[in-house]
Amino acid sequence: MDKQTEFVLRSIEERDIRFVRLWFTDVLGFLKSVAIAPAELEGAFEEGIGFDGSAIEGFARVHESDMLAWPDASTFQILPWRGEANSVARIFCDITMPDGSPSFADPRYVLKRALAKASDMGFSFYTHPEIEFFLFKEEPKPGVEPVPVDNFGYFDHSPHGIGYDFRRLAITMLEQMGISVEFSHHEGAPGQQEIDLRYADALTTADNIMTFRAVVKEVALGQGVYASFMPKPSIKYPGSGMHTHLSLFEGDRNAFYDPSGQYQLSPVGRQFVAGLLRHAPEITAVLNQYVNSYKRLAGGGEAPAYVCWGHNNRSAMVRVPMYKPGKGNSTRIEVRSLDTACNPYLAFAVLLNAGLKGIEEGYELPPGAEDDVWSLTDAERRALGMSALPTSLGDAIRVMERSDLVAETLGEHVFDFFLRNKRTEWEEYRRQVTPYELEKYLPVL
Amino acid sequence: MAGEPRVPSLTGQLLRVGVRDPEVVLPLLLAEPLAALFTGEALEDLDLAPDPDRAVAVLADIAAAAPAALAILAHDHGARHRALAIVGTSRGLADHLVRRPEDLGLLATGGAWERLASPDTMRAHILEAVGADPLLPGAHAARTGLDARNALRVRYRQVLLAIAAHDLAHGVPLDLVAQLLSDLADAVLQAAVAVARAELPGNATPCRFAVIAMGKCGGRELNYVSDVDVIFVGEPLDGDDTTAALRTATTLATNVMAICQDLTPEGTIWQVDAALRPEGKDGALVRTLASHVGYYERWAETWEFQALLKARPVAGDEDLGIAYLEAIAPMVWSASARRDFVTEVQAMRRRVEREIPADERERELKLGPGGLRDVEFAVQLLQLVHGPADPRLRERGTLAALAALAEHGYVGREDAAVMASSYRFERTLEHRIQLLDLRRTHLVPTDERQLRTIARSLQLRTIEHLERQLHHHTRDVRRIHEKLFYRPLLQAVARLDAGAGRLTTEQAVDRLRALGYRDPEGALRHVEALSTGVSRRAAIQRTLLPVLLGWFAETPMPDQGLLGFRRVSDALGTTPWYLRLLRDDSVVAERMARLLCHSRLATELLLTAPEAVAMLERADDLLPRGLASLLGEFRLAAERQPDAATAVGVLRSLRRRELFRIAAGDVLGLIDVVEVCRALSDVMEATLTAAAEAVIRDWEQRHGRALPTRFAIVAMGRFGGRELSYGSDADVMFVHDPIDADADCLGAAIEVASMLTNLLAQPGTEPPLLIDADLRPEGRSGSLVRSLRGYAQYYERWSLSWESQALLRARPFAVDAALCDAFVALIDGMRYPPQGLPEAEVREIRRIKARVEAERLPRGADPTLHMKLGRGGLADVEWLVQLLQLQHAAAVPALRELSTLDALDAARDASLLSDEQHETLVAAWRMATRVRNAQMLLTGKSQDQVSTDLVDLRLMADVLGVESGPALLEEYRRVTRRARLVFEERFYGQPDTSAL
Repeated sequence: MDKQTEFVLRSIEERDIRFVRLWFTDVLGFLKSVAIAPAELEGAFEEGIGFDGSAIEGFARVHESDMLAWPDASTFQILPWRGEANSVARIFCDITMPDGSPSFADPRYVLKRALAKASDMGFSFYTHPEIEFFLFKEEPKPGVEPVPVDNFGYFDHSPHGIGYDFRRLAITMLEQMGISVEFSHHEGAPGQQEIDLRYADALTTADNIMTFRAVVKEVALGQGVYASFMPKPSIKYPGSGMHTHLSLFEGDRNAFYDPSGQYQLSPVGRQFVAGLLRHAPEITAVLNQYVNSYKRLAGGGEAPAYVCWGHNNRSAMVRVPMYKPGKGNSTRIEVRSLDTACNPYLAFAVLLNAGLKGIEEGYELPPGAEDDVWSLTDAERRALGMSALPTSLGDAIRVMERSDLVAETLGEHVFDFFLRNKRTEWEEYRRQVTPYELEKYLPVL
Repeated sequence: MAGEPRVPSLTGQLLRVGVRDPEVVLPLLLAEPLAALFTGEALEDLDLAPDPDRAVAVLADIAAAAPAALAILAHDHGARHRALAIVGTSRGLADHLVRRPEDLGLLATGGAWERLASPDTMRAHILEAVGADPLLPGAHAARTGLDARNALRVRYRQVLLAIAAHDLAHGVPLDLVAQLLSDLADAVLQAAVAVARAELPGNATPCRFAVIAMGKCGGRELNYVSDVDVIFVGEPLDGDDTTAALRTATTLATNVMAICQDLTPEGTIWQVDAALRPEGKDGALVRTLASHVGYYERWAETWEFQALLKARPVAGDEDLGIAYLEAIAPMVWSASARRDFVTEVQAMRRRVEREIPADERERELKLGPGGLRDVEFAVQLLQLVHGPADPRLRERGTLAALAALAEHGYVGREDAAVMASSYRFERTLEHRIQLLDLRRTHLVPTDERQLRTIARSLQLRTIEHLERQLHHHTRDVRRIHEKLFYRPLLQAVARLDAGAGRLTTEQAVDRLRALGYRDPEGALRHVEALSTGVSRRAAIQRTLLPVLLGWFAETPMPDQGLLGFRRVSDALGTTPWYLRLLRDDSVVAERMARLLCHSRLATELLLTAPEAVAMLERADDLLPRGLASLLGEFRLAAERQPDAATAVGVLRSLRRRELFRIAAGDVLGLIDVVEVCRALSDVMEATLTAAAEAVIRDWEQRHGRALPTRFAIVAMGRFGGRELSYGSDADVMFVHDPIDADADCLGAAIEVASMLTNLLAQPGTEPPLLIDADLRPEGRSGSLVRSLRGYAQYYERWSLSWESQALLRARPFAVDAALCDAFVALIDGMRYPPQGLPEAEVREIRRIKARVEAERLPRGADPTLHMKLGRGGLADVEWLVQLLQLQHAAAVPALRELSTLDALDAARDASLLSDEQHETLVAAWRMATRVRNAQMLLTGKSQDQVSTDLVDLRLMADVLGVESGPALLEEYRRVTRRARLVFEERFYGQPDTSAL
C-alpha cells in the first residue's frame, strides 16, 4: 500500500468519516457519485468498485456494462459543507473495464491520453480557468424569468450583497478542499460572479472544475439562492464563459516563453496558437456543447465568434496577454470561446491536441487582429481572413463529424456517443416554438 | 654470417607460436634488447601472447622508450608470462605500458600486482592517489583539480593491469574478476567523493551524501569497460535547511561524475550514469532519503524495482547508504505482487531485443537472443516471483542468485549449472572483447585478427572453435525459459526424484500466475495429467511441456493453449508419430502452440485429423494450394468411391484438411487476408465441383442413362467474388439446359441439386457445408433449379434492380462449361446495363439500402461494431462498389470485376473514386474482413458483431498485430467511420447527418 493510500485510510479513521463519495464524470460533463461505507474503501483501492456502466450517460451499452471505478488516492478530500461531525469525503475515480484496462468512455482517460501524448513530445500542460456563473434568487421554475440576486456590475465592491458573502464562503470551502483561488470579483451582469482558479496541471484543473461546480451549487443552496453555469441565461446580459489560460512546460521551462519573440511568444507558442485557430471550428462542439452555448457566442462583447487571435485583444478568440517583465514562466495564451458548461476533461484534451497538432505540423501563425473584431464589417473580416466559428450546435456538429483530430482525441467511443447525443439535442431544439416567435409572428401573421 | 642459416628455421618457429607476419616480427626480435630476451627456447614463450605480433611490437616500443624497463622480463619468468599475455591481448593496456614502462615492474613475481587484487590494498592504493586517508571514513582528499584526476587515472590503470594479469595469465575465475572490477569501481567512487568534498567552496552548507551503486556495479559483477550506474542520496545535517544541503549534495554528485568521466591528459576512467534515479534524466540528480522513498511508493514503474534489486551503497556516508537500503529493499519485494509484473518485465525485454539493428543481432553478446541479458532477466524474474516469500533468494549478483535458486529447489541443479557456465563463457568473452581496445562494446568483432586474439586468449586454437563454443552457449541460453521457468513446474507435479529440492505446489502456482496463466491451479492439473505416468507418451510430453508452456505464456491467454494441447493430446496421443514430430521439430511445436492459443477453430479441425499436424513442418505446406491442384486431387479422390454418399464424405474430409491449412497459415501470419478469402473460395469451388460430378455420376449409375440435361452451378455473393470468409455458406444458383426434350429434365436437375445439398450438409464428424440458394429468382418460393430459358424469361419480365445487383458477382463454375458460358452471356446485359442505370433505379437502390440499414441490423447491435451491416462495414463498401458498377460498367469494361477489391481498384483507375476514397474503402473492407476472420478462427463461431469480450479482443489484437484489445476496437471504429463518410458522400450523394 502506498503512503497516499495509507494517508486516506488513516484520515477516514481520525476524522470520523461516515461516507466516501466516489466521483467520476460522464461524457457530457455531469458529476456522478457512488457513496460507499469507509470500510469498503480499502477494497476499492485494491480491486476497484464494480458498477453498471450502462446507467451512465455515454459509458457503455447494456451488453458490456460491467465497469470498475478505481479511486485515485491523491484526490481525497473531505467535503466541507457536510460539517465537522459525521463528515463525508470525496475521491475521484478512474474507470476501467473488468480486466483493468482503461475504459475509453472515461473522460478522465481521454484527457490522460492527450497528456501522455504531450509528455511524449516533452511537454506538460497547465491550465488556469476563469469561471463565470450567475446567482439567482430562486430555483428555476418553468415560464418564470430568473431574477439575479443583485444589481451590481463589473468589479463592484458590494460588501452587503449576497454575492460578496457567497464568494467568501465558496472560496473558503474551495481552499479547504485544497483548491487555490487566484482571484474573484463581481462580473459585468447583475448576479454574475467570477472566480479564477490558480493554474495547475490540466488533469488537476479539470478535477478542480468538477469540484468547483459542486461547491458553488452547495453554497448557493445553503444561502437560499440558486447558482447556474448555463452559458447564456438572459438575453440582456452577457453570458458566462470560462476563459482559460493555457501554457506548455518543458521540464521547468515555459515552452511559450521566448524573450526575443514577438510578445515574448516562442515559436512553439506561435505554432500552438496556430493549431488552436486552424482546428477551432471542429473542436467548437466540445468547447460549447449546448444549444444555449451559441447564444452566448452570438452575443458579442467578451465572447468571440470569429477565428482569430490578438495581443491583449479581448474580442479575439485567442488572446496573448501582456507580458509581465521578469515573469517568463507565466507566459501563456488565453482561449476565450469555451463556456462553463463544457466537460472540462474533453475540452482540455481537444484544446491540447489542436495546439500540439500545430507544433507537430509547424503551422504558421496568421497575423493577429488589432481591432475590435465585433466592430469590423463582414467584408473586412473576410479580407483579414477571419472565418466565423460555427453559429449553432447543428453547424458545430457538422464540422466535428468530419474531424479526425477530434475523433482521435476523444477516442471513437466517446466521439460516436457525443455526436449521437448532440444530434438528438439539436433535433429536439429545432422543433421548439419559442416565446420570441410567438411574440414576433402571432400578432402579425 | 653465422646467423644466416638460422633464418628459415626461426621463421618456422615463429609461425608455430602463432606469429602471423614473421617478416615484420623477425627484425624486431633480432635487435637488442629483445634478441636477448627471446633467444633459443625462450622464443616459445611468444605463444603465451594471444597476438604475438602485437606483443613483440609493443615490447619493441617499450624498449625504444626505456630499455631498462624490460630487464625484469629477462629473469622473472612469471612477469614475462603476465606481460606477454597482457600486451598480446589489450592494446589499451599496452598503450599504458608504453607511456609508463616502469609499471611493468608491477608485474614482478611477488610484486604489487598480487596485492592490488585484494579489496583493501586496492582501496588504499586508489585513495592514496588523491591524498585521502584510507583508514578515515569521510576523509577529504589532499589533492584536487586536474592533479587529483590525473593521479586517479594512472592508479586506476595500474590496478586494472593487476586484475588483467590475474585474469589473462592466471585463469582467475570470471566471478572473481568481475568482483575485483567492482571493488575497483567502489574505490574510485570513494576517492572521487573525497576529492569532490575537498573541492567544495568553504561556505557550502554541509550535507550528508551517499553514492548507491546500481546495475552491474551494484551486483558486484562489473565489466572491464562499462558505465557505472549510480543513484545519489543527500540529507541535511541535523536541523539544517534541506534545500541548501541538497544544493551542496548536487555539487558533490556533479563533481563525482566529472572526476570519473572527464577526459584529461591521462584519459578517462568510465562514464557514471545516474539515469536510473527517480524520474530518470528529468529528475533531480540528488534526492533526500524521504524523497526517494516517496517516489518509489507512488510513482515508480515495474522495471525500476527490478533495477533496485542491485542497489548497494558504495561511497560517501555509510550510515546514510545503509538507511537507504533498509528503506528501499522491502519495496522491491512487494513490487512483484503487482498485477502483470512479469508480463511488463518480459514485454520490456522484447522491446529491447527488437531495437537491436538486424545486422548486429547475432553478434550482440549483451542484448541479442541467447545473450547475457536473457540470463540476467530470467534470474531476476524468478527472484522477484519467489523472493517475496523466500529471503534466501535475495542476492544481488546474477550468478549468486542463480546458485541460490538452484540450491533451494526453484530451478533444476543441472539446468542452473548449464546456464551458469554459458553465462560465464559469454561474460568472459565480453571481457576479452572489451580488453582489446579498452572500449565499451558488447559486439563480437568481425575482424579476423581480433577474433584470433580473443580465441587464443581463451585457449581456443582457432576462430572456428570460438564460434562453435559461442553458438553452443547462446543456443543453451535461448532455452533458458524452458529450463529455468517451466521444467521445475513439472517436477513439482511429477514426483520423480523425491530427494532433490523442488517447487512446492504453491510455489508452482505462484510462478504460473506470474507467468500469465489465469487459472494456475487448473493449468497445473493439466500439466500433471499430461506428464504423469510411465508411458512413452507421458515421457515425451514431459520433454515437450516446458517448451510449450513457455510459448503459450507469450500469448494473452496461455490457459487456452494448454487446454487445447490437452484435448489434442487426449485425441491423438496414441498416434505415435504425432508426439515424436512435436518433440523432434521445434518449429512444428511452436506453430502448434500458437494455433492452440489463438484458434479454437483450428484446434477443432485438428482433433480428428492428426495428419494435419505434419503440415506444420514446412511453411510451404501452409500456403494455399491453388484451385487446379485442389480440383485434381478432389476429383481423383471422388472418382475412386463407389457412390455419391461415400464420395462426398471423402470430399468433406479433404475440405477439412484444406480448411486447417488455411486457418494455420492465417494464424501464423503466412498469408494475407485476400489470399485467405481466395483460398477459402477455391476450396469451396473444388468441393462443390467434385461433389456435383460425383452426384451426377451416381444419378447416371442409378438410372442407367446419361443425365438428360446439362447442369451448372453459379457462385453468387462473396463466393462469386472469390472473397469467402471462414463461416460463410455457399451462395449459389442452379441452372440446367435440357438435352433430351422428352425426359423430365427439370426433375432430374432438381434431384441432383437436392442430393448435392443434402449430402454436403449432413451432420457428421466433418464440418458441414451449407448451400444457400435463396438468391435465385423468386427466392425460396421459386424452383430450386431453373432452365437457362427460364432465367432468360424471368429476367426479361421481372427483373428488379436488386437482382441486377446480385448478378454482379454471379460466376458459374461447374459442371457443364458450355452452359456456364451461355449463362454469363445471358446475365451480362442485365448486370452491365448498356445505358447505365436510370435515375429512378439509382434512387430505388439507395432506398433499399436505407431500409436495410434501418431494419436489418439486429436489435441491440452496436452499429459501429457490426462488421456486415454496420457503419462503414462490408455492406457499405460493397453496395457503393456495386452501384458504381451498375452505373458505369457498360462504358468502362474494366469495372466488370467480380471481387470487391478488384472493382474498387478499377473504379479508382477510371477516376470514379479518388485515391483517398479508394484507400479508405479498401482499408475498411480489409479491416472488417480480417476482424471477422480472426474472430471466427478464435471462437469457431460465425458472428457479425465484433466481440467485446476483453480476452477475445486481446487474442484477436495479438493475431492482427494491434497492441491491445481496446486499441483494436478503437482502430476498427476509426477505419469504418472514415469509410462511412466516403460511403455517404458517394452512395447517397451527400453527407448524412442523421443518427446511425
